[in-house]
Amino acid sequence: MIFIVCALAAEAKPLIETMSLRKDTRSCPYETFFAEDSSVVLALSGMGTVAAASATTYLLTRFGFRKEKDFLLNFGSCAGKEEGLFLINKITDEATGRSFYPDMIYDLSSFGLPFSSEKALVTVSKVVDSLSDPNLLYEMEASAIFQAGARFVPPHRILFIKYVSDSGTDDPKKITAALLTSRARKYTSTVLAVLNHLGDVSEPEINIDEELFISTALALRLSETMRCELRQFFAYAQAADIDMEKILFGLHDEGRIPVRSKREGKEVLDVIRERLI
Amino acid sequence: MSSAKGLYNFPFSHIYVEEKAADHDLTKKILSRYSKSAIIPIAHYKDVFNRPRQSFSIQKGSPSLILAKNTGNSVFKGAPVCQDFGYDHFYYTSCVRNCIYDCEYCFLRGMYGSGNVVVFVNQEDSFSEVEALLKNHPVYLCVSYDTDLIALENLTGFVRSWTEFTMAHPDLTIEIRTKSFRKDIYEKIPYCDRVIFAYTISPQEIIDRYEKKTASLSERLSAASCAMEKGFPVRLCFDPLIYIPNWKDIYTSMCSDVKKHIDTHQLKDISVGSFRISAEYFKKLRKDFPISPLCQFPYENHGGVMEYPEPVRNDMENTLITLLQNLISKDKIYQTDF
Repeated sequence: MIFIVCALAAEAKPLIETMSLRKDTRSCPYETFFAEDSSVVLALSGMGTVAAASATTYLLTRFGFRKEKDFLLNFGSCAGKEEGLFLINKITDEATGRSFYPDMIYDLSSFGLPFSSEKALVTVSKVVDSLSDPNLLYEMEASAIFQAGARFVPPHRILFIKYVSDSGTDDPKKITAALLTSRARKYTSTVLAVLNHLGDVSEPEINIDEELFISTALALRLSETMRCELRQFFAYAQAADIDMEKILFGLHDEGRIPVRSKREGKEVLDVIRERLI
Repeated sequence: MSSAKGLYNFPFSHIYVEEKAADHDLTKKILSRYSKSAIIPIAHYKDVFNRPRQSFSIQKGSPSLILAKNTGNSVFKGAPVCQDFGYDHFYYTSCVRNCIYDCEYCFLRGMYGSGNVVVFVNQEDSFSEVEALLKNHPVYLCVSYDTDLIALENLTGFVRSWTEFTMAHPDLTIEIRTKSFRKDIYEKIPYCDRVIFAYTISPQEIIDRYEKKTASLSERLSAASCAMEKGFPVRLCFDPLIYIPNWKDIYTSMCSDVKKHIDTHQLKDISVGSFRISAEYFKKLRKDFPISPLCQFPYENHGGVMEYPEPVRNDMENTLITLLQNLISKDKIYQTDF
């Protein structure tokens, strides 16, 4: 699943429309949208770090972020010298001076985000009227999303994509919803291409036969520590492509399972280890 | 993991440079070689290297490089699980953390939370530390424990500089451990009989399965042979021995290959040890490699060290020692004992 946090509806609108996300009509602390096939969920956090951190935590806990499969994306507008879409490689929180670094592992150049699109960003507490460093981007949520997200998300599964809406203004009203939406729409296809690409990136997981594991643990009268040992045997059998079921059925046929005492259970556990090796 | 071609950026596509390392000559030299990489300034290397929840194995797909200054100690007493080869004052230094190879069993996966490579550019400070130790006693120093310096020589030049430093300090002996194929290095560094090149030797089947990106068995043996021809003391490390169902066949065949390629009587010595790792480090390995038979093997915890069950361990080590005794005298074989 792709988890998306956007500050404003105007920034998210093109993504919501293009991906045909449906609004969650249940009572939610943050406006939430989701794809029919559960591949995407998007929350509107509102502006600022507190709102962003809170919405990120809400989204990740409510929908259960899986660190082997899912990605967290922050998409939104920022102030910068030149128009464009940028991939963020460093986020500095202006208030604390702390910096945060998402992993820059994936090659997204063929999807419209080459190295030249990478920038460092500063999270500030209010709309900037000018760019104190023209090489940097300025916005109001990323450092909080990173910090809240990092509690759940590995750094190679968190992504910040920002588009420039202005170069700083003394009147925030000049940054209209229409402007934010039209700029966001310009980059929607790039963002979707990136998400489609990353949506396929998954990491291996071990999935043991829980039913067989539990019935074996009970039949062997295993203590908690011995259960951990048995679980490890199951994991090894799967990794080494050994038929654990065959070993256990063999022990059943020999009359060694079920056991009459914990001590017998320990002995059978040792036999399983021997047969695995 | 999805392994579509082009999924990852190229290695060292991103170089993080610590503020206090930015002006160091070695930093400038390294950066000049990586003109296509993105350079990201950082306050401290730990801001990147020590982030929580990093994936060592994913980062190995596209490791970043971190250039930093080591402000703490960089020379440490050898750990009990390390072979000391009979030297009383056994130390190791950590001028680089992590390496470009991708060995599935590597203790660095457990020791560090990151698969990125840190180069401490201030090697001169490590030299000062070693000189302080040398005032008290001779020193045996492993300089390539937390990395593979030969593999990184084009980047750092540390093999050359450690060799030159050793030449100038008669009470210092260093060991440079490697899985590299490089032979040219022996043309480029001065000769010193106190610089020991230690090649980790594994059967090709183990290299293919568990030592990704490293040199093949024949390349390692050829490089070791080249080092001996140049007069350098060479050690072969059959450590770690890795269990797979047909281990006896593949290790027997490997010993035949060693005999074919190496004048074993000229070896300084040999070390033998089965796979073992701190239980604490091993937790991370298991998490990082959920479907690896090597990482999921039911090891036994003996005093905080995970190792093969005793019968397996003894069988593997004794078999190998018997095979090796046909190649080299027994007194030159060091067996791990801790």
